[in-house]
Amino acid sequence: MKSSIRRSRRAAVAVALGSVLALTATACGDDGSGSAGDKGNEGSGKGEITFWDNNGGVRTDIWKEIIVDFEKKNPDIKVNYVGIPAASAQSKYDTAIQGGGLPDVGGVGTAMLAEVAVQGALEPLDGRLAKSSLNGKLSQNLLDSSKAAGGGDKLYQIPTSSNNGTLWYRTDLFEKAGLDAPTTWDKFYAAADKLTNKGKNEFGFTIRGGEGSIAPALDAAYSQSGITSFWNGDKTTVNDPKNVAALEKYVALYKKDTPSADVNNDFTKMVAQWDSGTIGMLSHNLGSYQDHLKALGAEKFRGLPNPTQADGTRVQISNPVDGMSLFKSSKNKAAAWKFIEFAVSHEENSKFNESAGQIPANTEAAGDEWIQKAEPTKLAAQALNGDGTKIVQLPYYLPDWNTISKADNEPNFQKVLLGKMSVKDFLDTVADQLNKAQADWKQNH
Amino acid sequence: MITEIAPAPDRVASEPARPRRKRRAWDEVPRWHIYLPLSLYLLFTLVPFYWILLFALRPAGSTSLVPWPMTFDHFDKVWNERAFATFFQNSVLVGIATLVMTTLVALAGGYALARFDFRVKKAFMLALLCTQFVPGALLLVPLFEIFAKLQMINSLGSVIIAETVFQLPLSMILISGFIRNVPASLEEAAWVDGCNRFTAFRIVVLPLLRPGLIAVGSFAFVHAWNHFLFALMFLSDQGKQTIPVGLNTLMSADSVDLGALAAGGIIAAVPVVIVFAFIQKWLITGFSAGAVKG
Repeated sequence: MKSSIRRSRRAAVAVALGSVLALTATACGDDGSGSAGDKGNEGSGKGEITFWDNNGGVRTDIWKEIIVDFEKKNPDIKVNYVGIPAASAQSKYDTAIQGGGLPDVGGVGTAMLAEVAVQGALEPLDGRLAKSSLNGKLSQNLLDSSKAAGGGDKLYQIPTSSNNGTLWYRTDLFEKAGLDAPTTWDKFYAAADKLTNKGKNEFGFTIRGGEGSIAPALDAAYSQSGITSFWNGDKTTVNDPKNVAALEKYVALYKKDTPSADVNNDFTKMVAQWDSGTIGMLSHNLGSYQDHLKALGAEKFRGLPNPTQADGTRVQISNPVDGMSLFKSSKNKAAAWKFIEFAVSHEENSKFNESAGQIPANTEAAGDEWIQKAEPTKLAAQALNGDGTKIVQLPYYLPDWNTISKADNEPNFQKVLLGKMSVKDFLDTVADQLNKAQADWKQNH
Repeated sequence: MITEIAPAPDRVASEPARPRRKRRAWDEVPRWHIYLPLSLYLLFTLVPFYWILLFALRPAGSTSLVPWPMTFDHFDKVWNERAFATFFQNSVLVGIATLVMTTLVALAGGYALARFDFRVKKAFMLALLCTQFVPGALLLVPLFEIFAKLQMINSLGSVIIAETVFQLPLSMILISGFIRNVPASLEEAAWVDGCNRFTAFRIVVLPLLRPGLIAVGSFAFVHAWNHFLFALMFLSDQGKQTIPVGLNTLMSADSVDLGALAAGGIIAAVPVVIVFAFIQKWLITGFSAGAVKG
């Protein structure tokens, strides 16, 4: 009798413990509904929406400010902010597309737009933009890039800002050496040579040899060769002999005028090395402005758009455009669209880009006072929107673009730097992969 | 009366002479032959840590090789502005819950593997080993779907369960090894004295498993503390994220605040260093015992 009472007590305790554990585990959880197949609905235009920031952390504060402004103006809408580390944004989206839990609105850059759009997760935005107060107020160049990156005729991203390749150089070292600002490729190469003194651990340039090396290499190649289109019919111009010659000249800087450790340079190492060492020039984008400012102070450096040819011709590759997308699975698309409209409005877009140090997509914001004072951003905006600038559109729309431009060929570029692969073989390999990917893409579209 | 006290016998003389210890080749090695390579190795190992400390403690923009003038601004920034106080709290919760659940379940499973014979025991052990070859990323989508169905996305419970599940196979194998080291006759003696199986286990076996439990528990804690993937994927609310995710948010797409990143790295490393400092002795004993008999 006693033992049966004891047993039933134990069972009751076990059930209670189990229940407590289960309740604790599921407390405040959600069902993660909203995968790619979910068509969502327009909703009431009120209630809660979730926003994923694809570059969370550094931009968290400015987004929270924008959200506060939005909620003041729209008290019946609450925005839940989720900051995602930039390096993991693509995996987070991919997992949510397969398993559910997509947000209503998300930051989706052009570099990953095609991969997210091709899985059917994004809502086309052409119709909404046509009826919006934003219509006609966004940079046409950026809208074109957004549309091209989506891989079709539809617009899947409202651009918020653009980056641009920037040649950062140390004004103090240039003045000391009596050098002109590196505005052309000839001046760039001359400065790289003159500022190098290996015995004193001084170098003219730092080259990106590790993660993310392909875009700067292509930028250098097209910018020098003057080829203005990525495609010639169905074949890429990447391995055109002019590009091969241009890249050979650029790669020859490695070890001659750069530290040998550059073969492993990702942007973090490259920027840290430039900010703390004695290196004349660094080719990165506008994003590292604040780091240089903190490390060097405003007097010791300048940022120019990448060099032009001797006659002033400017050719550059298309830079990633950041923007906001509306997810098809959203149950409150009306409220989500209101948030996008608000975030890209003049005042908010200006505020965001001033903080991020990037070029605003809103043309009214691009004329604001702060941009006139921030020289690198101003020059980049002029270069990007200048009449003479030719932009080579990279094929972000190819689902294989990220694989080709990262995993497949970054190790090959390191081989090129180390002299284990010729520039021609490298560009031929890239071209073969691109031509195949383009053919596959055309077959499916 | 004078008492004569006999002189104490010469102990040295009366005791058999101890055999003189032979000088081994090892003793003849000059000390610096040992200490110099060890110091060089230590220097090599510690330089990266010094570099992290340097970045964390010197002001932004400084290129000094010593952290002077010293500043705690970076720590203040990550702890207060970047919500590391919350991330830290969440990581502690995930780490301790994983430790407790892993240890308890591994103890039960390990006991069964060590003390009972059943038909598919070898196949079961093999299956446990095989699970170690499956990377977590491969199971991400299935796990995500399961947790979504259980309404556990964006709940710390999902991370705790996932971490526990991934820790269990190795932990069970290790614990079963430790339990096999304890003679079954000890338990049987306790049964004879009137204990049931559970009481005998609790009173006789459990105290002897302390090094093993510490090894398994600390391994589970450290793994859960450092693991990034599950926390990133299953948790969205910033108030629920853990330290590894927080560290990643300090690196944006185009810019990295190295001072803040270094300070965040130190905050992340301190609990693990403290755990290892306290349990080092048991950890080594535990792992070697489990490994030999496992």
